Amino acid sequence: MLLQGHQLRDGCVQPGQQRVEIHKLRQGENLILGFSIGGGIDQDPSQNPFSEDKTDKGIYVTRVSEGGPAEIAGLQIGDKIMQVNGWDMTMVTHDQARKRLTKRSEEVVRLLVTRQSLQKAVQQSMLS
Amino acid sequence: MQDRLHILEDLNMLYIRQMALSLEDTELQRKLDHEIRMREGACKLLAACSQREQALEATKSLLVCNSRILSYMGELQRRKEAQVLGKTGRRPSDSGPPAERSPCRGRVCISDLRIPLMWKDTEYFKNKGDLHRWAVFLLLQLGEHIQDTEMILVDRTLTDISFQSNVLFTEAGPDFELRLELYGACVEEEGALAGAPKRLATKLSSSLGRSSGRRVRASLESAGGSGSSPILLPTPAVGGPRYHLLAHTTLTLAAVQDGFRTHDLTLTSHEENPAWLPLYGSVCCRLVAQPLCMTQPTASGTLRVQQAGELQDWARVHGVLKGTNLFCYRQPEDADTGEEPLFTIAINKETRVRAGELDHAAGQPFTLSISNRYGEDEVTHTLQTESRGALHSWMEALWQLFFDMSQWKQCCDEIMKIETPAPRKPPQVLAKQGSLYHEMAIEPLDDIAAVTDILAQREGTRLETPPPWLAMFTEQPALPTPCSPASVAPAPARTHPMPWGRPRTFSLDAVPPDHSPGASRSVAPLPQQPSPRSRGLFSKGPSRTWLQSPV
Repeated sequence: MLLQGHQLRDGCVQPGQQRVEIHKLRQGENLILGFSIGGGIDQDPSQNPFSEDKTDKGIYVTRVSEGGPAEIAGLQIGDKIMQVNGWDMTMVTHDQARKRLTKRSEEVVRLLVTRQSLQKAVQQSMLS
Repeated sequence: MQDRLHILEDLNMLYIRQMALSLEDTELQRKLDHEIRMREGACKLLAACSQREQALEATKSLLVCNSRILSYMGELQRRKEAQVLGKTGRRPSDSGPPAERSPCRGRVCISDLRIPLMWKDTEYFKNKGDLHRWAVFLLLQLGEHIQDTEMILVDRTLTDISFQSNVLFTEAGPDFELRLELYGACVEEEGALAGAPKRLATKLSSSLGRSSGRRVRASLESAGGSGSSPILLPTPAVGGPRYHLLAHTTLTLAAVQDGFRTHDLTLTSHEENPAWLPLYGSVCCRLVAQPLCMTQPTASGTLRVQQAGELQDWARVHGVLKGTNLFCYRQPEDADTGEEPLFTIAINKETRVRAGELDHAAGQPFTLSISNRYGEDEVTHTLQTESRGALHSWMEALWQLFFDMSQWKQCCDEIMKIETPAPRKPPQVLAKQGSLYHEMAIEPLDDIAAVTDILAQREGTRLETPPPWLAMFTEQPALPTPCSPASVAPAPARTHPMPWGRPRTFSLDAVPPDHSPGASRSVAPLPQQPSPRSRGLFSKGPSRTWLQSPV
């Protein structure tokens, strides 16, 4: 049987996507990343200010703390998080997403994100 | 004459009992016995009634019992026929080609029933004499199950007939037909029959005696299905109140929606009929359906899932297929204890499932892959089952789920909430229910705020400002303080009626709008405690929040 579409594998970052590696910062008992997320399949996507498609139930970065680990790693507000350490983040509830990012056993998280400015640049370069 | 009727009825009952016994269908038998006993009780009560309203209740119970008996009898006949013809209905395990797939059953609930009335000016302004009153109730039938709502007394001060009951049917298929019938009776004695000449009265009763047997047989044939004849068998007028069929309609899967909808009613009585009510011609209700495939797990077992990521390891999980999701738990106990699954794979109408060997998974037998497309990307999960038999049963469960989704259509998009029907309150004497008509002032100014004002006063205040201290727990700018003009104030108690134009009735699509003048919509909703996981029946419905969490 043929495999239709394509499967996302390591090393095969699609155009318009970005890898961001964040090293968590220890603050007392907690390991923090320094950003906030919004979205999830159990949330109302029409209230997402960052998405182009208002039915998109993905996880978006809604705030990045100044000088925090996320900002240092290059994460930007409005980024959509596709994967965290290989785990899919496009079909998860809000709480599941939060838990995936805040695992105590992980000191480093590798995110795969899409950024609208990047996507638009790719689209434009494809058209020209 | 009455004796003949009684004997006929007793013979019917005997026949029914015998048939139930011979079929050894204990469940139906038990239900029949119960209805027969209820019927006897209702007859006795009717005979002992002195008050008209008691008689109305007793007659209603009697009619409902009769119709249930007929319906069960029809069902019994059908089963007996099937038995005699050798079709047991059960599929033998190894017979010929596989039987046709049948969709899963579901629960269908109808609630918030409301029937608008349209009084003529003359009726409304007529002030002489007593208030003309009617007793009405709804009868609902799905398959062989019949349920009734409470009886409501109606007079010209009501703009709508609103029933509080939630009616639940548990064994519906996606091809269900829910027949809804509105019955009404005059609360006052029907003058017509009481004043009829004696000769006419005897003629009526004797002709009823001959034709009642024919009617019983006719009803038997059509009982159980929706048919065109009314569900209720009219009782011979024994001096008790007479209910007339005022309107009916049939609802199917197309009418199911997680919200209020208005449907047309077919009106069946004329103005000459003493129980005629000026119905507007619609019924408004909330009809929802919960297919079992959405609320019960349809498959579970051990799976190994290939992680889409850096290492293409296979993770061992316990998969549970329920509704439109395949939940993958770390261990089987997690599913029961309410632990969050490791991850969730969505299964919906657009999902593609393939079984077999895949290029990159060479050497891995018994795999299946599930692909979902969102936007421009496609995510495929590859799952390995334990054996050929396990693969087959997973595929079978998935095909059944796709079939159920195609049959139940919109009911499989999200779980529709069903509230457990509250215990029926005893029938209340007609209190003077406030009517919009009385509260309206007819003034030339058109002011929508006045209408909402009245509605808000009737509903009570439900508008609340989020307390300012909550701002401490959010990352957002502080909420406007209660002193600021932008905040929501509870609806002030207005002593003078606001002027506005033409009298307005309730919008047919119900639920008074939640007008909150001044509520600031620009503030994002506050983060809450992790909401209780919606499992099984009591889903929260479409979410209205867009939470933000710091990580």
